[in-house]
Amino acid sequence: MKTQQITLEKTIVQSEGNIASDMDGEKVMLSVQKGKYYNLGELGGEIWDLLKEPITIHELVTTLQSQYDVAQTECEEQVTDFINQLLEQGLVRIEDRINS
Amino acid sequence: MKKEWQTPKLEVLNINM
Repeated sequence: MKTQQITLEKTIVQSEGNIASDMDGEKVMLSVQKGKYYNLGELGGEIWDLLKEPITIHELVTTLQSQYDVAQTECEEQVTDFINQLLEQGLVRIEDRINS
Repeated sequence: MKKEWQTPKLEVLNINM
């Protein structure tokens, strides 16, 4: 099993400098910085939209679970894995959020 | 009614820019 580098409490937000577009129901994106195109798919596109504002992975999972028929453990693992892929490509970043 | 879950994946497209 893959090691998860991030925890559910981490706050994630989109990085700047990406151009996203909907194409046939799927989210396609260009990273200007890397000069690469990405296909996030339909669900990946929904997750991407949720990452416009800083959000914890736990909040992300809760939102997705309210819309999709998926077990919590499965959702947490797969969303965390997906976020790790986005982090590796520099498409999102971890934001230090201070609770006031 | 809830939608069917699908594993989210990031696919890198091989397009020469």
